[in-house]
Amino acid sequence: MFKPKGERYYTETPEVDFSSAREMQPYLKEPEQMYVGAPGKKGYLRLGFELDSDGKSILRDLDRRVPLIAQQELYFDEAMPEMPCVYILSSGGPNVDGDRYEQIITLAKDSYAFVSTGAATKLASMRWNYSGMRQTIRLDEGAYLEFIPEPVIPHAHTRFISDTRMVIHPTATAIYSEIYMGGRKYYNGGELFAFDILSVCTHGERPDGEQLFREKFIISPENGHLRDIGVMGGYDVFANVVVCTPPESAEKIYAATEPFIDRKRKLAAGITHLPSDAGLLFKVLGQEPAPVKAIVRDFCSKVRQAVKGKPIPPEFPWR
Amino acid sequence: MNASQTAKISQLLQFSDSAFPVGTFSFSNGLETAAYEKVVTDASSLEQFARSAARQAAFSDGVAALHSFRAAAAGDYGKILEADKAIMLFKMNDEARQMLRRMGKKLAELGCRLFPEGMMKQWLGDIEAGATPGSYPVAQGLAFQAAGLSEEDLFASHQYGVVNMVLGAALRCVRVSHYDTQKILYTLSFEIDPLYEQAREMDLYDMHSFVPQTDVLASLHEKGTMRMFMS
Repeated sequence: MFKPKGERYYTETPEVDFSSAREMQPYLKEPEQMYVGAPGKKGYLRLGFELDSDGKSILRDLDRRVPLIAQQELYFDEAMPEMPCVYILSSGGPNVDGDRYEQIITLAKDSYAFVSTGAATKLASMRWNYSGMRQTIRLDEGAYLEFIPEPVIPHAHTRFISDTRMVIHPTATAIYSEIYMGGRKYYNGGELFAFDILSVCTHGERPDGEQLFREKFIISPENGHLRDIGVMGGYDVFANVVVCTPPESAEKIYAATEPFIDRKRKLAAGITHLPSDAGLLFKVLGQEPAPVKAIVRDFCSKVRQAVKGKPIPPEFPWR
Repeated sequence: MNASQTAKISQLLQFSDSAFPVGTFSFSNGLETAAYEKVVTDASSLEQFARSAARQAAFSDGVAALHSFRAAAAGDYGKILEADKAIMLFKMNDEARQMLRRMGKKLAELGCRLFPEGMMKQWLGDIEAGATPGSYPVAQGLAFQAAGLSEEDLFASHQYGVVNMVLGAALRCVRVSHYDTQKILYTLSFEIDPLYEQAREMDLYDMHSFVPQTDVLASLHEKGTMRMFMS
């Protein structure tokens, strides 16, 4: 499983390297603790869903390296009991300095799945390097994926970069949701927007390589403009939900979703069409994660309703 | 035609003027909704809103304009098409994409009159044939190259255009005076240089933007009924 490479040992998984990203240039020192790519700091997860001979959607392919863990699919969705549900866990706790992760989620023709995380993803403080995540989400004809993880909590001086490639068949639907908190708002007198950088890129393409959209945001509190009107204003939590879906379902979801600014509850949400008729983009701003999560879940339920004719049931009370 | 320095300054003023007929006045960049929703209410909140618009444009439209300018200098038409495609794939907002295409086509039409030689004709032809979206920043890059202006001129004009669009709309929907808007325009002019220093180094794949509050406002405008402005 491990192969020697020089004096160090590496797991046999692809390299995840963002050292060419311009915004990560100040964060390329080798950590003094465990080195970049050391076993346990190089997570790898491959989930492959497909229909079995009875037409049941199952997790057929699973490969993983610590600290990323997925066990087996469970069928706990009351509104869609046929839906395989998988939680991604991390045995290491937070992402630490020099961590590299790769996640590959593939859905074969007509299969469907719900994927989330067991708890919020904590990004620990970093001093030398950064934590990076590369993801590939690939959906074949007619496939349907709900990827709705728990929020990401960046600690002071963390650095995180992700690149998510979505390869989506024109008849498939993929929900890819992300919720970013401003930080540990109530810890140590408040750690809001105390991280160094979050760089997040999500890009979509068709299986034939046709490019659909490319969204990239870099959140860098040190530029001093995060609180400006137009950026975060007075909000502390931000959610971004990409929905790749055919135009017919996109129109149904768009019609059912009302953008709003609720000054009393300090919540706001907006929806627009992705370029290339690729689907929709939904954004939410709020003060606390719980109401933002509820709005995201409600929106995702509209997507499921438009595509599968069923809602997403209410969240478990302990989540 | 070799233009003198004074002619070039005059042309820079011409291409940046709000009277330059590309339709800038029809757009507010989300300000119409921001004013209605009382997000922007006075000179101070307007300055922040305009700064956010300028910063996000610097690292997206500004980068596309610079790449188009350099590709035109090198005579590399393929790279101009690449810049056009990149900015349109990057624009997440429907009305923003419409704005870029409308203003881009108008500038291409005008550019064909001003610069009958060169790539502008081929560019307009490709827009009309549906071969390329024809975005405004890419057309700006072509026009500035054709006029023999500099990359700094282009970037300053691009930033001036974004800020002036917001401020022009502000006079019609926010309780601010001409004194306020001119002061904001002057203040923000000092912020162009550091933005240019970053944008000039950026690849098309480096384009980034983070203005979620503006995105939500744009969405309210897109689904709403307010129509003094088209965005």
